[in-house]
Amino acid sequence: MSRLACLFVPLFPLAARLRSEPELAGEAVAVFHGNGSAARVVAASRRARQAGIRAGMSPSQARAVLPKLTARGRDAICERAAQQALLEIAESFSPRIEDSGEGVVYLEIAGLERHFPGSTPEQELGHALATAADKAGLTAWVGVAGSKLAARVAAEQPGSPTLVTEGGEAEFLAPLPLERLSPEIEVLATLQRWGVHSLGELARLPANEVSSRLGIAGQQLHQQARGLDPRPLVPYQPPPVFEEGLELDWPLVSLEPLLFVARTAIDRLCRRMTARGLACSRLGLSLRLDPGAWIERLLRLPAPTVQARTLLTLLRLELEREPPGAPLTAFRLRGFPDRPRSAQLSLFGPAALSPDRLATTLARLFTVLGPGRIGSPRPADAHRPEALSLVEFEPPAPPRETSEAPRGRGLMAVRALRPPLPVEVVSSTGEAAGQPSELLEVLPVSSAQTERRPRIGGRVQVASGPWLLEEEWWSRRPVERDYWDVELAGGGLYRLYRDRRSGDWFVDGIYD
Amino acid sequence: MLSSPAIHPPRSVARGAALAALRADPAARLTSGRELTRRRADGAAPEPLATGLEPLDRLLGGGLPRGRLVELVGLHSSGRFAAGMAAIAAATAGGETTALVDLGEGLEPAAAAAAGAVLERLLWVRPRNLKQAALSSEMLLNAGFPLVVLDLGQPPVAGGRGPQAVWLRLARAAASHGAALLVSAPYRASGTAAAAVVLSSRTRPAWSGSGGAPRLLTGFHSQLALDKQRGGGRPPGRALLTVRAQQLIDGRLPGMPARGGRAAGAA
Repeated sequence: MSRLACLFVPLFPLAARLRSEPELAGEAVAVFHGNGSAARVVAASRRARQAGIRAGMSPSQARAVLPKLTARGRDAICERAAQQALLEIAESFSPRIEDSGEGVVYLEIAGLERHFPGSTPEQELGHALATAADKAGLTAWVGVAGSKLAARVAAEQPGSPTLVTEGGEAEFLAPLPLERLSPEIEVLATLQRWGVHSLGELARLPANEVSSRLGIAGQQLHQQARGLDPRPLVPYQPPPVFEEGLELDWPLVSLEPLLFVARTAIDRLCRRMTARGLACSRLGLSLRLDPGAWIERLLRLPAPTVQARTLLTLLRLELEREPPGAPLTAFRLRGFPDRPRSAQLSLFGPAALSPDRLATTLARLFTVLGPGRIGSPRPADAHRPEALSLVEFEPPAPPRETSEAPRGRGLMAVRALRPPLPVEVVSSTGEAAGQPSELLEVLPVSSAQTERRPRIGGRVQVASGPWLLEEEWWSRRPVERDYWDVELAGGGLYRLYRDRRSGDWFVDGIYD
Repeated sequence: MLSSPAIHPPRSVARGAALAALRADPAARLTSGRELTRRRADGAAPEPLATGLEPLDRLLGGGLPRGRLVELVGLHSSGRFAAGMAAIAAATAGGETTALVDLGEGLEPAAAAAAGAVLERLLWVRPRNLKQAALSSEMLLNAGFPLVVLDLGQPPVAGGRGPQAVWLRLARAAASHGAALLVSAPYRASGTAAAAVVLSSRTRPAWSGSGGAPRLLTGFHSQLALDKQRGGGRPPGRALLTVRAQQLIDGRLPGMPARGGRAAGAA
């Protein structure tokens, strides 16, 4: 016989809110469902309940009872994230879990007793589940039984965890009223006409008689009343992304308050990914603008990381680079998981970098330098010397043993100038495309250009060329250049070219 | 125990020497890999990172010292960039992960690969100014990169020399992680933080062909001078560095252009 544990979060809308806004803990808080005067209290904190706040009250009634009440609306984003967190807690204990929504998760716990070798393994498991939920910011109660209904009812009892002994489910459920099974109205009316008012009375009826009179619905109710599950556990499929977010009570217009609330969301996101042995490779950002449009952004990370500070800095840079342009009323963060990088280190080979530290460093560099400024260089599929491509830096594992350093080739290197430096060229023959005899500096248009431009000019001692380069002749912007290697009177060696289409000269490299 | 006959004979010299030293020590009772690495580290000073350029390695006593900042100073066409490329090529070919913080954005990936660099092991960082370059270098050193080459490009350098404290921080980061930091600058920038300073000055380019024959740049020579060496007591020395064009090294015919594209040869 299977054994199930039910992880149940009482007052789930409130618990999800308090998880996202932990500073409200201990306050008189009520969560309302609905809009305006039609809103009704669905959950209230202990302090609010002690002051007289009850479920079903309208906002004006609640304010009349407790003027200092902190009111919050139901937040679908918060509740979804809290439910995900609850599922991940359950998944860290058992591979077979079922998502029943609204703060309820079932776990198949048969076989887990080996992890709790004490005299009361189910009791210890229940305490461990509640502790794990508490660490995730959710107060959960636990019930253990042989069927889902019995486990759920047990979880609702005070003094968690509550255990129902094997085979004792029917007896445990017997005092409950029929309404606990949520039967159809016609079936309930029929049973009440028969004088059946509790689950115990229903369980005592002959199964085949109930089935023949009430059909499949009656058969399933009878099974549940006897402590049997009419349908097995439905395995939970984890979503491909991790999501956290918050609906804001008032629109935010500046960046700092948004980052303040986003920080806790990112912390939770990183904790959830760490618990599953995953890291964030991309961060999706959804912002709801006042009055209602959503904008979506995607932040790509150079390497997977779970460093909350790095992700927060990325978020800050992204929002500073392109502000939303309107007040924000909600935000949602989606972490796309990836496997953290790992590597087998060698005792005798070159020291390898810690993959985790490397990933964090790359992400921090990314935040400092911006996109397109770090990576592993690769020759581009082009003949122009300045063409390049950057790929993600994923160094291969170092060799197992240190080898002798290879002897250098002593190769002449070219220091590319990006962008190429425009120059005036005087030709010895007087022709525009003739052999250069002197290079003249072109004065920059703005002082900003002067800052980074090297000064190159002078009489040409030796010139070698032209070397013709043609590329992309089929495109709208073909490249046709005459390359020259020149030595100036000062001793410098430069690579310059003449653009055949415009006739302009550029220095695009220094032999160095 | 490592003296057990079940241990297979070592394949490399380095591994063999390490194991032989441990076997010779009767007190060697190793209980963990950490203990083994600590004993190896205690046994000998860390080997310098050879650049593969014999004149430069000779001046520096075998290569770039680990845990030290070495500054290479030179103007246009002094062989400074070629020395940096050689250091990167030697380190990456030896299996080390290397970072190039390239303030001048002068790297041509195809040329680096031709110089022998294993591009998969090379991280290219392109900062916009000296402040970003120093910050990036410090992060990379702290991340454990065994060799970081910080190239300041050509003058004017965006950000100037930077404050002296920046270079002291970088030197300290290199020392604390045992990494080699090569600063390639057009003028002295790191001040007292540098453990060694090598000045590189151009001497003469080498051209093939004369008279009316087509000319071809075949390389150039530059003079390396050890301007400063802290601690080692090594007297300042000089060496001649020769770098050559790729087509000469690869045995191509003079006149054949090294660069790609539809090169039509000398007109």
